[in-house]
Amino acid sequence: MTAIAESGFDTSAFEALLNDRTAEPKWLSQRRRDSWKAFEQTAWPNGKEEEWMRTDIRLFKLDKFSSAPAAQPGSAAALLSHGVELGGRIESTNGRTDLSELDADLAEQGVIFGGLSQVAIEHSDAVEKAFARGVVSPTYDRFAMLNDACWTGGVFLQVPKGVHIEKPLHAISRLGGEGAADLSKTVVVLGDGAEATLLMETLSEDAIAAGLHNGTIEIVLGRGAKLRFVSLQNWNNRTWHFAHQKACVGREAQLQWTIGALGARLAKVNQQVALVGPDAEAQVNGVMFTQGKQHLCYNTHQHHEAAYCRSDLLYKAALQDQSRTVWRGMIKVDEAGQRTDAYQRNDNLMLSKDARADSIPGLEIEADDVRCTHGSTSGRVDDHQIFYAMARGFTRQEAVRMIVTGFFQQVFDRITIDSVREALGEAIGARVQDLPNQ
Amino acid sequence: MATDTMPSAEDLNATDEAVLSDINKYDFITQTTGVFKARKGINADIVRQISEMKGEPQWMLDFRLRSLEIFESKPMPKWGGAINIDFDDIYYYLKPTDHQGKTWEDVPQEIKETFDRLGIPEAERKYLAGVKAQFESEVVYGSLQEDLAEKGVIFTDTDTAVREHPELLREYFGKIIPPEDNKFAALNSAVWSGGSFIYVPPGVKIEFPLQAYFRINAESMGQFERTLIIVDEGAEIHYVEGCTAPMYSTESLHSAVVEIIVKKNGRCRYTTIQNWANNIYNLVTKRAMAYQDALMEWIDGNLGSQLTMKYPAVYMMEPGARGEILSIAFSSKGQHQDAGAKLVHCAPNTSGRIISKSISKNGGRSSYRGLCKVEEGATGAKSNVVCDALILDPQSRSDTYPYIEVEEQQVQIEHEASVSRIGEEQLFYLMSRGLSEAEASSMIVSGFIEPLVKELPMEYAVEMNRLIELQMEGSVG
Amino acid sequence: MNDFHSVGPTTDFPDPSSQLVEVDEIAVVLIHAAGHFYALDDVCTHDGGPLSDGDLCVEEATPTIACPRHGAQFALADGAAVTMPATKATQAHEVKVEGGQVYVRLCDSHANTRK
Repeated sequence: MTAIAESGFDTSAFEALLNDRTAEPKWLSQRRRDSWKAFEQTAWPNGKEEEWMRTDIRLFKLDKFSSAPAAQPGSAAALLSHGVELGGRIESTNGRTDLSELDADLAEQGVIFGGLSQVAIEHSDAVEKAFARGVVSPTYDRFAMLNDACWTGGVFLQVPKGVHIEKPLHAISRLGGEGAADLSKTVVVLGDGAEATLLMETLSEDAIAAGLHNGTIEIVLGRGAKLRFVSLQNWNNRTWHFAHQKACVGREAQLQWTIGALGARLAKVNQQVALVGPDAEAQVNGVMFTQGKQHLCYNTHQHHEAAYCRSDLLYKAALQDQSRTVWRGMIKVDEAGQRTDAYQRNDNLMLSKDARADSIPGLEIEADDVRCTHGSTSGRVDDHQIFYAMARGFTRQEAVRMIVTGFFQQVFDRITIDSVREALGEAIGARVQDLPNQ
Repeated sequence: MATDTMPSAEDLNATDEAVLSDINKYDFITQTTGVFKARKGINADIVRQISEMKGEPQWMLDFRLRSLEIFESKPMPKWGGAINIDFDDIYYYLKPTDHQGKTWEDVPQEIKETFDRLGIPEAERKYLAGVKAQFESEVVYGSLQEDLAEKGVIFTDTDTAVREHPELLREYFGKIIPPEDNKFAALNSAVWSGGSFIYVPPGVKIEFPLQAYFRINAESMGQFERTLIIVDEGAEIHYVEGCTAPMYSTESLHSAVVEIIVKKNGRCRYTTIQNWANNIYNLVTKRAMAYQDALMEWIDGNLGSQLTMKYPAVYMMEPGARGEILSIAFSSKGQHQDAGAKLVHCAPNTSGRIISKSISKNGGRSSYRGLCKVEEGATGAKSNVVCDALILDPQSRSDTYPYIEVEEQQVQIEHEASVSRIGEEQLFYLMSRGLSEAEASSMIVSGFIEPLVKELPMEYAVEMNRLIELQMEGSVG
Repeated sequence: MNDFHSVGPTTDFPDPSSQLVEVDEIAVVLIHAAGHFYALDDVCTHDGGPLSDGDLCVEEATPTIACPRHGAQFALADGAAVTMPATKATQAHEVKVEGGQVYVRLCDSHANTRK
């Protein structure tokens, strides 16, 4: 592997990146160039835009980061795969694949699973077709443009029609070293009637190094396909995280999408689910747990484009210290979305008087025969519960951990994969701090 | 310089063109002879002219000019509804008559006819305390029962208050809603005219609702009334504002500012029934500050206008303050009601409630946009927000945008919303009892908005039901 | 107790001026007006607007900076909210000038609400 000089994301760094990737198909290089041009001509989003009003990125300086490969593969331990028999796994560091495995019988059935950089070369047609769908717009904003021009990491999963993958697939990506960046694209395509479970997690090698993740996730489910998708974001609190994520759920297909958002100094994630065929179904689960000065902003969007679809979203956030969460959720029902059944709920648990939670549910409905409801609550830890637990011999921290776990139980109950429940519980437990005396 | 500001003969006759339209009780035109009419458009000269016509003190002129600068520097809002206003094609000031009417007999005949059709005199004869009817920009008729005056209640138009109660007015004017707040508050601050000024002294409880009707009756004419209500400690008031307007073919703009202070243990209820013509932009800023143990209630019904953007707010400034907001929106063809409410908890143990109900039909769009905010330090704050929307046909649209911002831990904020259509079972049941589908739908809608109607004074409840019936006509089948 | 962080030489901050500086991952507006330096959280407590983009009002008895979004004014000296629609103070921080450098020390106490 040649060491390329990528000092930040200037033109020479971009050219160096292209030079290092001459094996890529031509359509891809051209696409990178187009997006780079757009990137160069566009300004960062600013606080005057409604979407960014609550998320201040003036302190984000792209030139402090570089997408240079890591000196060595990362080794921070995975949580989601603990005790799970996997059908395939991918490990990567700073957006470069370190390891990629897939059970031979799955490969024989035509399943493609690997680091996107490699798959783009080996299965150029499949990747080109997936990209051409434009599930996530490469020109949505400057982050999307940067990602589309400079991505190196990410996972590609394609499951042919009718193939059921019983064992979960796992992907872990790590960030290591000061100023490290991971620009990634994840693409999941399930053919008609295909089934799979994909567990993804991201984390930092240490608690101190500043990092950047700029990623996209694109999911396409064919008729009657079923996907369980878990993404656990557990970076250190000095990582900037910008992402555009979208799933298109086809006729009679089912998606269960669980997000664990624990890390990042600042996260700004757009997570969209589009129900594009009749009778499609999506369940979205979100767990946010923050500390310090973390700022996590998740914009969710449930788009009912067809009739008889169901979507059910539950986001729960617990906040410590001076941290802040912003959840903006929208249910949009097109005129064609008759007989929609859509639900969204956001609950916030305030563990500190200095924390702040913004909750902005929204409904935009153009069909008249629908059932759309949403709810939101914010509250605090009940002192009586803490005293009760402490009277039983628990420390204050243990008591808080129990209460936080209880608060998240409603989401955990919806997660059908044991290892994910346990991993989330463990990751949250590690971040629980002693609650100051009231 | 002063000669430049004199109106021309053309200006004086500009409103005389009769406009033919289908007449019904809420859709009619009365001819008026404007005594003075400013030119269209807005600039510093127009603002100076308005101030000079009113004989205002320097500080008010300075306030207007500063506000004009702010108006010009602020961009149009990019959210809410589509606003397509040519600010240069609007009259910012129109004075319909030379004198304030002292008695009913003094009010010009054509204005009386307009009011007769709205039923104001009858309402007054019955049991109203005072009527402030705003016809175009100035208050032309006002009466206030003498016993209220004896108790020290001040109820006058805001222009008069600038002259007669300058110190009291200046203490609060533009302090609750500064001109910087938003583009339309700035516009109002620059060109405001009319509106009510009310002061209720400590402990005085006004038993009956004070009413005012506002109307737009000149094509392309803006209406920029400015209301300030001060409810002193332990005092109580219920203020009712109702609007109906004739139909016109070009856009008109209504942009009011309403500021309210409710001091310790005071109570204020402010009721609006907005039924502007369907070509009017209704962009209004309403905000109240409630102090210790005070109660502020907004009851806000929006039926008319092309686009309404209005979010009455209660800032709960001291412990025990309460805010209650009831918002009802009904939008039909070509209408967008972007209405809602704001509750801001700034002190401990404050509590608030928002109930929003909206109905969309014939391609109308109803949006609830609200804010529930708990500032740091507002421990024990409680808020409850419930939004229900009814959509009557597939062409219509309903949106809900309930913002919630919590900066404290010991709080309880709840929000629930639902959107649905009229249940077929309900319809079937009512129709099996012999009602037509239209009657059954109308009955269900009436039930849906009952929480608003039952809070209204009786004659308003009657009018409200009549308006709903009119809105519902032809909605089914 | 937090440390003083250098935010640049005094020559970077002419009088009058206000600009965004970063102190320990916090956005701070550093203001130089009428011979004094001030530092506030660069956040309007009303809706999070950037104060460093707003106007300074130094002629008033209480010198303030105004949020560009809705005009809420904050006292330079202590961050107190002076006008609606803000009702809560923004955090004020300690500033010192030494050897031609401006230093800011973050303060964490959250007190000082309006009225």
